[in-house]
Amino acid sequence: MLELAIGIILGGCALGAGCAMIAGIGPGIGEGNAVAAACEAIGRQPECQSTVTTTMLMGCAVAETTGLYALVIAILLLFVAPGRFVNILINAIG
Amino acid sequence: MSIVFLILSVLPIIAGILIKVLFVPAADGIDITGAHVFFTIDLPLGGLPITEAQVNSWLVILSIMFFCLFLTHGLKTKNISNKQVIVEFLVEKVDGLIKANMGEYFMGFAPFIAAILSLSALSSLMSLFGLFPPTSDINIVGGWAILVFILITYYKMKCGPLIYAKSFGDPVPFLAPLNIISEVATPISMAFRHYGNVLSGSIISMLIAVALANLSNLVFGWIPGFVGDIPFFRMGIPAVLSIYFDLFSGCLQAFIFAMLTMLYVAGGFPQDEYMRRKAARKAAREKASAESVAADAAEA
Amino acid sequence: MNNLDIISVNIWQIALSLINLVILFLILKKLLFKPVKKIIAEREKEIMAEYDKASATNAEAEELKASWEEKMSGAQARADEIIQDAVDKADRRNEVMLYETREKAEAIIKKAKADADRDLRDAQESIRQEIISVSTALSEKIIGREINMDDHRDLIDSFIDNMGDE
Repeated sequence: MLELAIGIILGGCALGAGCAMIAGIGPGIGEGNAVAAACEAIGRQPECQSTVTTTMLMGCAVAETTGLYALVIAILLLFVAPGRFVNILINAIG
Repeated sequence: MSIVFLILSVLPIIAGILIKVLFVPAADGIDITGAHVFFTIDLPLGGLPITEAQVNSWLVILSIMFFCLFLTHGLKTKNISNKQVIVEFLVEKVDGLIKANMGEYFMGFAPFIAAILSLSALSSLMSLFGLFPPTSDINIVGGWAILVFILITYYKMKCGPLIYAKSFGDPVPFLAPLNIISEVATPISMAFRHYGNVLSGSIISMLIAVALANLSNLVFGWIPGFVGDIPFFRMGIPAVLSIYFDLFSGCLQAFIFAMLTMLYVAGGFPQDEYMRRKAARKAAREKASAESVAADAAEA
Repeated sequence: MNNLDIISVNIWQIALSLINLVILFLILKKLLFKPVKKIIAEREKEIMAEYDKASATNAEAEELKASWEEKMSGAQARADEIIQDAVDKADRRNEVMLYETREKAEAIIKKAKADADRDLRDAQESIRQEIISVSTALSEKIIGREINMDDHRDLIDSFIDNMGDE
């Protein structure tokens, strides 16, 4: 019984981590848009290349934040949560 | 003399490698954990664990300090050496960054921004030496982000706490909770951005290294003797990833952290209002002193 | 001897890293920015001093040049003046000499004329005297008697006068 419960916990954590990483879509699309716009801007005004590149990198890094939140959640679910949950379960069973 | 400082600035890195070799047990397989705890100082609220991340960040600070001594040793006004050209270029660069992003008023921030840049970049680059990068510990970057938050709040309050409090109910008063949340989210997002980037880089590097080791075991495992155990694929290929995850991402995150610090601090400071108030205060003080002088003259 | 969890928030660690950043800020301020700023300011001052010196020297040189030019142009004017003086003097002297020469020549001519006149008159006088004496002797012989000199003188004189005039 305990093995089953632990298995469910581990499986749930892994599933949750996988689901959390769906959030990676958002930053991907957003950064793609940002880079496309930056390319356009550089094509239109090649003399602004360095400024556009710097600003684009800044914006990409900020846009990446949501993806990183998801990543942190996924890491928590993969590496921290199972141990905690199993401990809680064992304590509850006694 | 300056060569001594140069050696001293390299020494902390070597010391870090030695500490890692001597005191940190070797990891086997995939174990993604936080920093190794050397010992814990008993304090309330959970005690203070002295971890690899802390030690490495001290080593980075020591290294930077000796490197500064090396750079600024024997500065001259004429016939300057290449070293002095470099150090002056660095200082002017940071000053230019401050001037472009924050304005003349914040010129005192230059050493702070230089500190963030150097500490963050070098901490991330520690992973090049196989050391634990302090920036992949949330406590380290969290501390920096909280310091930045304190600075932001200080400069927002510079015009008086009342204006600061009023700014929360800015468009409509019932949005105040959201404003407070966005205010608090600033340091958290800064910390998690930096931490997540560095950590994800190291996790992906580790996963790929393990995968490559398994792959090489699969491909070359049939070779008898110890040759089959050598993970050939782990040679060279992870270095390419390391260029992105350690060098590029580390430096970029350092730059972004510094940039966001500058933008938040300068953006939150109502400079026009502050200058107006300062001028008004100064005028009032001058008026008062002129009045007192006039009163003295009248008495005389 | 264990590892921390991958995310473990500890307030003391956060405070420690905050203090670390402040310490690094102070280190950079004292050890990097202050000396470099100082040396840059010093060099700027030195360069400004050099500039000041250079501009002072330049001004001095300009002044010298101007004074020399003035002197040169003065010398030129003076030379012109001297030449003009000399030319004037020579001209004047030339004129004077010419004038004197002309006068002298005129005087010589006049004297020569006077001499010639006097010679002529002397010759006329002597011829007349001779004619008188000859005519007197002739008439005495012809007439044979003593002519009253006083009576005939007038006659003869008028005759000779007429002759001399012709």
